[in-house]
Amino acid sequence: MATDSGISSLQLPCVFSPKSRQYLALCAQDGRLRIWNTDSKTLHQEFVPSAHLSATCTCIAWGPCRTVKEGPQRKKRKSEAVQVEEKADLLAMGTAAGSVLIYSTVKGALHCTLDGGHSGGVNCVQWHPEDSLLYSGSDDTNIAEWDLQTGKTRSKWKADRAAVTSLCVSPDGKLLLSAGQTIKMWDLDTKEVYRKFTGHSTAVTTLCFATTRPPDSNGLYFLSGAAHDRLLSVWQVREDGKDKNSVVSFTLTDEPQHIDLVASNSKEEAVRLAVVCKDGQLHLFEHFLNGPCKKPLSPSCTVQMSDTKESPMPIPLLAAALGANTRTVLLAYGNHLQPVMEKVEINTAERHVCLTRDVQTSLSLSMETTVSKVKTPIVKANCRVLVPGLPGHQAPVKGTSQGSEKRKKDTDTKEMSIAERLGEIDLSTVSIEKGAPKGTASLQTDNFAVLLVQGLESNDASILNKVFQTRKEMVIKKTVARLPLPAVLPLVEELTKRLQGHPFTAVLMVRWLKAVLMHHTSYLASLPDLVTKLGVLYHMIESRVKMFHKLTKLHGKLYLLTTQVATNDSSNTVSDVDHTAKLVYEEESSDEDEASGDEGLPDVDSDVSKTG
Amino acid sequence: MASFKPTKIPVYPKLGEKVTQDTLYWKNYKAPVQIKEFGAITNIDFSPVTPHNFAVTAFTRIHIYGPSSQEPVKTFTRFKDTAYCGRFRSDGQLLVAGCEDSVVRLFDVSGKVALRMFRGHTKAVHVTDFTSDRYQILTGSDDYTCRLWDIPNATDLNVYQEHTDYIRCGVTSKLNRDLFITGSYDHTLKVFDARVDKSVMTMDHGQPVESLLLYPSEGLLVSAGGRYVKVWDLLKGGQPLVSLRNHHKTVTCLALSSNGQRLLSASLDRHVKVYSTTNYKAVHNFDYAASILSLALAPDDQSIVVGMTNSMLSIKHRKSPEESREISGQQRRRPSYRVFVKGKNYIPKQDDYLVSKPVKQYLAKYDKQLKKFNVSKALDCALEKWIRLRNPEVPLAVMKELDRRGTLKNALAGRDEQQLSRLLSFLIGNLVDVRFAPVLVVAAEMILDIYRSILGQSPVIDRQLLRMQELLEREIDYQKELVEVLGMLDTMFASSLPKMEVPCSSVSRSNGLSQGEASTSRPQPQVT
Repeated sequence: MATDSGISSLQLPCVFSPKSRQYLALCAQDGRLRIWNTDSKTLHQEFVPSAHLSATCTCIAWGPCRTVKEGPQRKKRKSEAVQVEEKADLLAMGTAAGSVLIYSTVKGALHCTLDGGHSGGVNCVQWHPEDSLLYSGSDDTNIAEWDLQTGKTRSKWKADRAAVTSLCVSPDGKLLLSAGQTIKMWDLDTKEVYRKFTGHSTAVTTLCFATTRPPDSNGLYFLSGAAHDRLLSVWQVREDGKDKNSVVSFTLTDEPQHIDLVASNSKEEAVRLAVVCKDGQLHLFEHFLNGPCKKPLSPSCTVQMSDTKESPMPIPLLAAALGANTRTVLLAYGNHLQPVMEKVEINTAERHVCLTRDVQTSLSLSMETTVSKVKTPIVKANCRVLVPGLPGHQAPVKGTSQGSEKRKKDTDTKEMSIAERLGEIDLSTVSIEKGAPKGTASLQTDNFAVLLVQGLESNDASILNKVFQTRKEMVIKKTVARLPLPAVLPLVEELTKRLQGHPFTAVLMVRWLKAVLMHHTSYLASLPDLVTKLGVLYHMIESRVKMFHKLTKLHGKLYLLTTQVATNDSSNTVSDVDHTAKLVYEEESSDEDEASGDEGLPDVDSDVSKTG
Repeated sequence: MASFKPTKIPVYPKLGEKVTQDTLYWKNYKAPVQIKEFGAITNIDFSPVTPHNFAVTAFTRIHIYGPSSQEPVKTFTRFKDTAYCGRFRSDGQLLVAGCEDSVVRLFDVSGKVALRMFRGHTKAVHVTDFTSDRYQILTGSDDYTCRLWDIPNATDLNVYQEHTDYIRCGVTSKLNRDLFITGSYDHTLKVFDARVDKSVMTMDHGQPVESLLLYPSEGLLVSAGGRYVKVWDLLKGGQPLVSLRNHHKTVTCLALSSNGQRLLSASLDRHVKVYSTTNYKAVHNFDYAASILSLALAPDDQSIVVGMTNSMLSIKHRKSPEESREISGQQRRRPSYRVFVKGKNYIPKQDDYLVSKPVKQYLAKYDKQLKKFNVSKALDCALEKWIRLRNPEVPLAVMKELDRRGTLKNALAGRDEQQLSRLLSFLIGNLVDVRFAPVLVVAAEMILDIYRSILGQSPVIDRQLLRMQELLEREIDYQKELVEVLGMLDTMFASSLPKMEVPCSSVSRSNGLSQGEASTSRPQPQVT
């Protein structure tokens, strides 16, 4: 039986670079790190850690901005980048294996690997705002402090009885928040517990300081959010130590996935908060942090996104970053493999905003420019591709060198759409069927036997539709050939039902029926009550073909007339030859307008691809 | 003078799914209320006492919902880990639940803190239930044991170590306080009697058992595991009666409708199937959005509650009688039956003078035109958009009648572009229908004869003709293939029987096609 374990581990890390928000670092299901440029909306870099499938990246943190030496070739290409002194460069990635990788976006390569600090998976990494220090919290209940100059741990201490799930360094760099069973605030100089906060029953996934003021004036606030929890709690660090309960809570529609916050520097300034929930909605809050507030606060504005189809489907938002003024928000949405970034002006006067975007077109637009900046992974010939335990992971299970070559080629050139890939797979199976002898077992499925049996057993219309829509003769034959005998009669019954329909769809069913009769002749003939079993089918067919003669005649008549019309047209309007020809072609390809078809206006014609 | 006979509209059998009493009954539910819980919903249990609240076990909580509320009226959160199997006692006062941390907790429904904690199992407890005397609790655990506990002093009375795998389901008898049945992942069902120390009956299900259900009479036991639902006769010593395989994934939950006539099974394949308990045929099917883990029916089938893996709880309430009547509200506007009946039953006495009033005949629009011999207008009336789309047999019957009178040609002639295209679109829509083809082919031929000279003048008409031609082409291809199939079938019948004969016995069993065809084939002699 399925349980909910492992769902929370599916949260994919997704972080905007600090200050300029120029880059979005995102680690997708396939274990690769992709860095997207939010200005040009293109893929800036792609990095595949050598053990990206066995030790998946669990968390990402951008290092503080620092001045960097520009490489000569980069200088040429981006002349404007020279003016920007500070640039987000280093990126720390914690992995499930317990190591921390430091990646440099300027070099476009791995800067260094911090190993040997943790015995369990790393849950969170945080940079110190000024010194070149890095903090990481792990499943082994420890917090490690890394010195990046030496690449070694400077200190390591046991922080909690349970795994450390989240960390946050205060803006002044003196305090550290950690969350395990309880939330603890550490003094970074002495490494001693300064405060303790209890409140969440599930793992805390989010910690964030909300104010920048020093802690001695009752004005230090921070936020926390937990798994399976639809509240963000705000805690006040008070001088007198009476800070047992959270002072404010923000209500959400689902557990928080990504939060962005503009901290307040004074009492007169409101804290602005953007929270992207797991259900793909964005909630904007604005609140003055001045002491406790009993009621949970609801968002000042909720943003959703949907596509432009007739029956709109929601597009999940992945991350949001607040802009300089109150109304602009930088959004990332779509799927993790190919997110779309967009700066949006949001009318915060309305409580609910629904944006509609055509993801299909925006995707293809961004794809055209994603050339040559992609870093190709170095795949050794003897490397083995592991299939991770992540659900929904679609790695090609091919251990051959041919497969890795193919992948390299894919990443080199522009990425193919899913439809193209599917088409390619289909082609390859067909060529295998034709070319190679039958003995070679390919991993691709070439029949629907299991699916069909399942569909017949549970009478599931969606499964059956999917199976019966195949047009490939080979697939039909193989499916029927591998069908277990008890499923044959239910299949015939189902086909009988479907044969009564419109000729466009029923033609496909005839192929199935023929395949059944051919492959299972002996079984069917051995049935004692064959006549009663197939009698309905026989009668149905007989009554249908009764009009065959007349219909054929009518068709002949019609054919003669229409061809005459066509020749008349073309002879009458010689100057306009190609136009008429085009029109006729269009008409031939238009079909499938049934009883509801009204007066035959051209716009009701739907194109259904014809196959023989 | 003979009165005008209105056109007879033939009634054709409807194709597709048959509407049965069951589909009507099970479709009579409102749109579901969806509630998001915190994790996969593993158990739902209705309180046996009115107002029939129900307890929903999901993740580390048990929520109790009222019969119509969408907010939990009560929440039990004192679990250290995932809770399982929150069940009410028969008086609705107490609730018992197992937990991943192996402690069984007993709650007062009005309280918050556990009244009793039963410690003794070493692994997660997935099964809990009260015995019928209300003073004992049955539990089954992943440590392969099931235990009976005494509620007052929280001690275990007996430990049964007969299963060899996780125990994931169990029921207690409602009639006998000593009898209970457990199902385990070791594929067996065991019937235990508390008066003896070991099981009294063992049945092999063949798959890890996920759910158990006792009939109210307690003569029959239903078990679900793997893709199978099996029914066992306990009175015959555990003889298997039926094995049902209507799901393509593991069946997770069973329920019985209130009158005991229908059995429901829910599965990971996202379906809930309803079976008749007389012949164990699936009579209805519900589809849900995600894999189903738990299912419960309210008393009197007032609501169907389903819990899914994606932590959604779906509650369907039965429509009240007023609501279900509103659908057919249009007919209610007529004067009541009584108005018409008034005086109908009066039997004339001997010296009464009887005045007979001729019954006024109401004619449809097209019949009125037919009566006046306005053939074109009659056809126009029959081809009104809503008639043409909703009951195509009306224009068809009119065409047939016109054909019988020999005036179909007149009716079809002399039309402008718009009217003609309307006619053609009707033809295109229905020409390939077996029931209509004989008449429509004649009409189509006439149209071609009449309008042959003006073809090519209107692009709209030309396009429609091309479409019709393509449709016919497809239909002919299709029928060609069907004829081939017919040949195959003939061979097959011939090889299986000493002499081939048309299977007449099955005519009555067919879904009415042959009858329909009989009624349409009758006018053929007149047509040609």
